[in-house]
Amino acid sequence: MSDEEVLLQSPLLYRLLRDRSGALLMEVVVGGIAMSMVRVRLNAEETAAYAREGQAFADRLAKAIMADPPFGGRAVDVP
Amino acid sequence: MKNAVAVALLCVLVTSGCVPTRAAIPPTPAPLVERCDATQAQLSVEADQRASPWSIEKHVARNFPGRHVSWLMKDSAYQTFVVQTNAKNFGRCNDTGCYLFAAPTTVIQRAVQESMKDGKHDPEVLGKALGLPAKNFEGTLRMMTLDLDATGVCVRLPVESDPGVWKCTTPEETDCFKFGGYTSGGVPEVMVLNAPVAQARVEEVP
Repeated sequence: MSDEEVLLQSPLLYRLLRDRSGALLMEVVVGGIAMSMVRVRLNAEETAAYAREGQAFADRLAKAIMADPPFGGRAVDVP
Repeated sequence: MKNAVAVALLCVLVTSGCVPTRAAIPPTPAPLVERCDATQAQLSVEADQRASPWSIEKHVARNFPGRHVSWLMKDSAYQTFVVQTNAKNFGRCNDTGCYLFAAPTTVIQRAVQESMKDGKHDPEVLGKALGLPAKNFEGTLRMMTLDLDATGVCVRLPVESDPGVWKCTTPEETDCFKFGGYTSGGVPEVMVLNAPVAQARVEEVP
């Protein structure tokens, strides 16, 4: 049983989660002919942007992660 | 007498359906672009013009034996985004369709088979064969296969604006997108639109 709440599950192949501490996490499917998944913890600025804009911001953030899967070293591979 | 025998033999052949005929020739598939909606057809025409004299038709004919495509997905992603959501199509979906990168089935299957050791795939071997980092292949994988003609899906050359494209920023990067129908690791690839889950063969790669 996961301790994480799914806030958004998008057909764009990402989902937004909230963990027990209240932090927001995004899981995004990355790659082309071989797809894997990475996880990024949203920072304070991104969390505030999601609170303001909702899914529109989440879509933008997911696309940014897909376009640069290491995401500045912030992305962690999901096994 | 000879004439009578010849006529009798001819009658037997005709009535028995044994009259020799030419070998059946499979029908030529309709142009791939005709399977696409207006938006995707426009993108396909533009991509072909840009790649000229290469085109999606030449690409599929040359690099996709049997006109079958395959792709790999980590099982965790497959379970989360295909099984749990009961997805109808593979790929990244937006208002214009579901976008999926795929490679020749022969290439993917051979790479998987040659990476198998003691019943499990070796991520290093698989990554090397497909020109991608080994970490992309760690853990259980799913291998999907689709018959392009049986499903009648829209297929075109991938372009930079496709969802999921990783734009290259340095020459050293090996898993980012380069236009032309090949991955940066040299594997042929196509963009498949609205690949139906129900018509794909899904195999586990332990």
